[in-house]
This record gives sequence, structure tokens and C-alpha cells, in this order.
Amino acid sequence: MPIKRILIVDDEESIQTVVQFGIQMVVDWQVLVASSGMQGIKTACDQKPDAILLDVMMPDMDGIATFKALQSDPQTAQIPVIFLTAKAQTSERRQFNDLRVSGVITKPFNSLDLPDLITKMLDW
Amino acid sequence: MKILLVEDDDVLIAVLTKALTEKRYIVDVVKDGEMAWSYGSTFDYDLIILDIGLPKLDGISLCQRFRAEEYSVPILLLTAQNTSTTKVIGLDAGADDYLVKPFDIPELIARIRALLRRSNAISSPIIVWGDLLLNPSTCEISYNNLPLTLTNKEYELLEILLRDSQHLLSVEEILDRLWSSDEFPSEATVRSHIRGLRRKLVAAGAPSDFIATVHGRGYYLKVPDKSTDVEISKPVETAPANSPNLKLSTQDSQQEKYLEFLNQLWVTTKPKSLEQLQVLFQAIEKLESGFLTPHFQELAHQTAHKLAGTLGTLGLTSAMQLAIQLENLLKIQASDQKVQLEVLETLVVALEQAIQNTNLIQSIPTTLIADNSTFSLKQSQSVIEPKVMIVDDDVDCLRSLTELLNPWGFKVTTLADPQDFWTVLCAVMPDILVLDVNMPPINGLEICQSIRNDLNWKRLPVLFLSMMSDSNTQNLAFGVGADDYLCKPIVGIDLVNRIHNRLQRVRDYQFIGK
Repeated sequence: MPIKRILIVDDEESIQTVVQFGIQMVVDWQVLVASSGMQGIKTACDQKPDAILLDVMMPDMDGIATFKALQSDPQTAQIPVIFLTAKAQTSERRQFNDLRVSGVITKPFNSLDLPDLITKMLDW
Repeated sequence: MKILLVEDDDVLIAVLTKALTEKRYIVDVVKDGEMAWSYGSTFDYDLIILDIGLPKLDGISLCQRFRAEEYSVPILLLTAQNTSTTKVIGLDAGADDYLVKPFDIPELIARIRALLRRSNAISSPIIVWGDLLLNPSTCEISYNNLPLTLTNKEYELLEILLRDSQHLLSVEEILDRLWSSDEFPSEATVRSHIRGLRRKLVAAGAPSDFIATVHGRGYYLKVPDKSTDVEISKPVETAPANSPNLKLSTQDSQQEKYLEFLNQLWVTTKPKSLEQLQVLFQAIEKLESGFLTPHFQELAHQTAHKLAGTLGTLGLTSAMQLAIQLENLLKIQASDQKVQLEVLETLVVALEQAIQNTNLIQSIPTTLIADNSTFSLKQSQSVIEPKVMIVDDDVDCLRSLTELLNPWGFKVTTLADPQDFWTVLCAVMPDILVLDVNMPPINGLEICQSIRNDLNWKRLPVLFLSMMSDSNTQNLAFGVGADDYLCKPIVGIDLVNRIHNRLQRVRDYQFIGK
């Protein structure tokens, strides 16, 4: 079975490092990083990861805008996206539901849990 | 420390004033009971020394009046009458201590120190702040074991900064507390004392921002940078191959490695977080000068949000809480609700301290929500907006406490009739309970006891907030299982801090179980 590849899009380097470390400690997946919406879209197009972890609040191009751009491009529309957010209020979550992301993970999280969560959310 | 001396005997006034100023106290002298009432009700004193035999208004009546008007300042009575009745009357009138004339001056000074110790949050006689040591009994200060020679004002300034380490000290407050009521120094004087103090601290090896400034607002002491100790003590060594008893499960060792990794990451993330905090400090400055644009406020809001996410993910849960409160505070509201300056700066200062103070991450964040189940949502909501239930028969008090606590992100439920207590408790399911003591027909102590006896509720943190400041009531409260006890009148941020700390303790305990 080919190795799973996850792309994490977050402008905070610490979060990128945490995600990389946690996932790679538990499973043999490859973790790619991007620091902005634009970079995330480009990497997604070039690399075609198996899933994208997308931070919601980023400067310039936020998570929602990035998601919409990914969905409107046939090259990336099929890649499942999981939102990472510190917001847990019902109003925000309703917004996510309307967008039809595959899942929402709230910060703070323990990145060792991520492989398990991702597998469950995406039915791998 | 400012003392009001109420005494009509000139000789005694001279002797006491000299003795007190030698010990670096600031002394205001009044010679009759009515002046004493004017001064005591207008200015803030840390202690009142009250002679019983006074013209116009005697000491006992004055004492009763202070207590009736809810002044909780410590009062030490001086009496020439050595009878037990006088002492009883005096103490029952609300005095905290008494001395019979003629008395021994060193004994007076020691009793004053004891009363001041009790009324401050700091109970140990020597005050320590990083490498700084202050001994109130000898008035000695040292930094890194090097004694500091300070002028009286410099010493007093440092002392109030140390005793009030929880919040920003404004220039006005310093002027009020460091000079007696008939002196009128200027703000420039305060600044020059601060400069002098900083010079001497730096000469002894302290950082130049040991006393930090928030421009235009005031001063505070930066939390000392303890030695960066990133090593975590490993609880178990790797088991030798032939020992079947020591079994370190892969999960435990993973969590351990994860914790180690978080600590290593924190070394580089901490300075980055402090840098991000500068945006929030700039927001304070802008707000203060009246130029906080919606654009900058949104920037500050986003910065707080980012910090909340990063700090939380690295395991700094209480810092994360502060960042979340800042985030909520800075959210651009649809209504014209302005950001409150005092709340903003206190939160930002507290957040900086929380970040600076963390050199060792000890607990791993738990993933809060993985799916849409409403149960998990409620749990995280509670973390972000803790529920506080306050029971007090004084409706005004309930109102002012609610106003005090709401801006800090607490969800407050109030109850004036303690008879409905259990119904409301089960409906609200608060995270912490604040109780008054005197609420006829039931009293707060009984309620606390009944909570501790109930299997479902015995772990609920209980904080007493009462006018009764005597040690008897306090001991009774702790005896029935109170977690904390505060005396009215209360400074808003003190209550907020106590609630915060108590809730954090609860979360830490809950985590240990995992």
C-alpha cells in the first residue's frame, strides 16, 4: 500500500512542526508543509497529497477562501480537507458544515492523536 | 506602606512617627476622631493605629464606624486601660489587635508587621522575586545576594511593586501610596525614582527591564526568567531485558517523547510568542491614545487567536486561556462596544507573565473535539467560558460582581435566595461556586458543608467572599471545605485571578487521571 501523504497548511511554524512530529512518531506517513493559503494550493496541485489539514485563520488568504479555491480547481477538488481551528462555537461550525469539509479538529490538540483522527474522519 | 496614626498625645506622636519612618513607613498623623474619619475614608491606608481616648470621636466608636462602612483596613488599638473589658470591647468593635500603654516600641513594630503580613497576599515575611530578596523586618534588599543601597523612596517603591505584583502600578497610585497626604510631588519625581531604582538594579546584575513600563499606563515587575531547564525528570529508566515487572507501554513512552519534543520546540517558540505579543502591547498604546483603528484591532484579534492555538497546542493551557479571553475581548462587535483598556492591559500583562514564566511544559494538551457530538462541544465551551455561580443575599453585590466578571469571559449566574440553592446548582452546573457567609436563614458555611458531603458535587471548587475578615470565620470556612476565602470589598482582578487559578488547578488534577 502506498504511503499516505498529508499536507499541513498553517502560518505558524510551531504548529507545522508539532503536526509533523506527532504524525511521524505514530505512523509511516509523509508530511508536507505550507505556510500560506497560496503556497498550500500550489503544493496541493504539485504534490497531490492524500489529505489536507487546513488552518482556518491565516493572514491574507484564510482557510475558508483557500478551501473554496481548492474545491473549484479540478486538480485538487478531490483531496479531502480537514479544518484546524481554535474556534469551537456553534456558529462557526455551522459555517464549516455548509462547506462540506471532511472534518474539523480544534486546537489545542495532541498531534499523536492525528493519524487516528484522520483515519476515522476519512474512513481509511 | 502607609499608616494613619490617630493619637492626641504630642510626645507619643513624635516618638511613634520617628520609629515608624525609620522603618520606612509613610505616616499621616491626626489628633482627633473626626479628622481620623475624614482621612481614613478619603485615603487608602495599609494600617490604622488608633488611640482609644480621643477628642471629638473616641477610638471605639471610630473603629465601629469604619467597620460598619465596610472598611477592612487593619486597625491596631492603643489603650491606656489594661482591663479585659476594654480589650474585649475594642476587639469586638472590629479592631485586629491592641497594645496597652505604656508599650514597647519594638513590640508595636512587630505587631504592625504581623498585621500587614496578614492583610497582604504574601504571607512569608521575606519577599522573593527571582534573584531579588526583600526583608521587611530589616528593610534590607539584595539582588543576587548583593545588598542594594536604596533611598527610602526607592525602597518603598520596590516594596509596593513586589507586593502588588499582580497588576500595573500607575503613577497616580504610586504618588498616593508613597507620599503622605500633605506632600505634593510630581509625576516627574516618580519617574526619576524609577530611573534611580533601575540604575541600581542593573548595577547589581538585574535586567534593564526588571521594572517594566507600559507606556503612559504604569509599571510592573517582569516575571523573573528562571534558569531554562528543559530536561524533564524521566519517571522510569528503560527496563533491563530480563525484568518482567517493568513494562513501559509504547503509548506511555510515546507521550514522554512527545512531551520532550514540546519542550524542545518551546525553546524556539517562546521568543516568537513574545514577539507576537508586541502587537497586543501596541494595541494597548493605541487604545490609550484613542487611535485604535478597527483594522489594528482585527490584527490584534487575529494575533490573540494565533497565540491561543499555538500556546494551547504546546501545552500551555493557562496561557491559552488568557489568549482566548483576549481574543474574545478584541473581537469586533456588531454593537458599539468599546474595548475596555484596563481589562485589555491586565490580560496582556498576565499573558506575558504566563509565557515568560513557562520554562518547563509538564502536561500534554488533550485533543478537545474530534467530532460533532454535542457533549464535547459543551466541554470545550466550559473551558473557554467558565461558569461561575455566586450566592449572596446582597443584590447590589451580585450585580457589581456580575459586571466585574463578565468582561473576563466568565458566564455568571447569581442567586440571592439561598433556599433555591440546590435547584439552581443542578440546573446551571457551574465550574466554580462563590459564596457569601451571612445569608439568613441559611449560611454559606452550611451550604459548603452540604456540597462537600454530596457525592456528585464534592469536587466543586468553592470560594468564599465575605465582609467578615476575622480569622475565626476564615478557619471555620476552611474547616467546612472551602478552597479559598476573600474579604469584601474586593478588587475585581483579585477575584478573577483566584477563580482562574482554582479552575486551572482543577484541570491539572483532571489531567493527572488520564
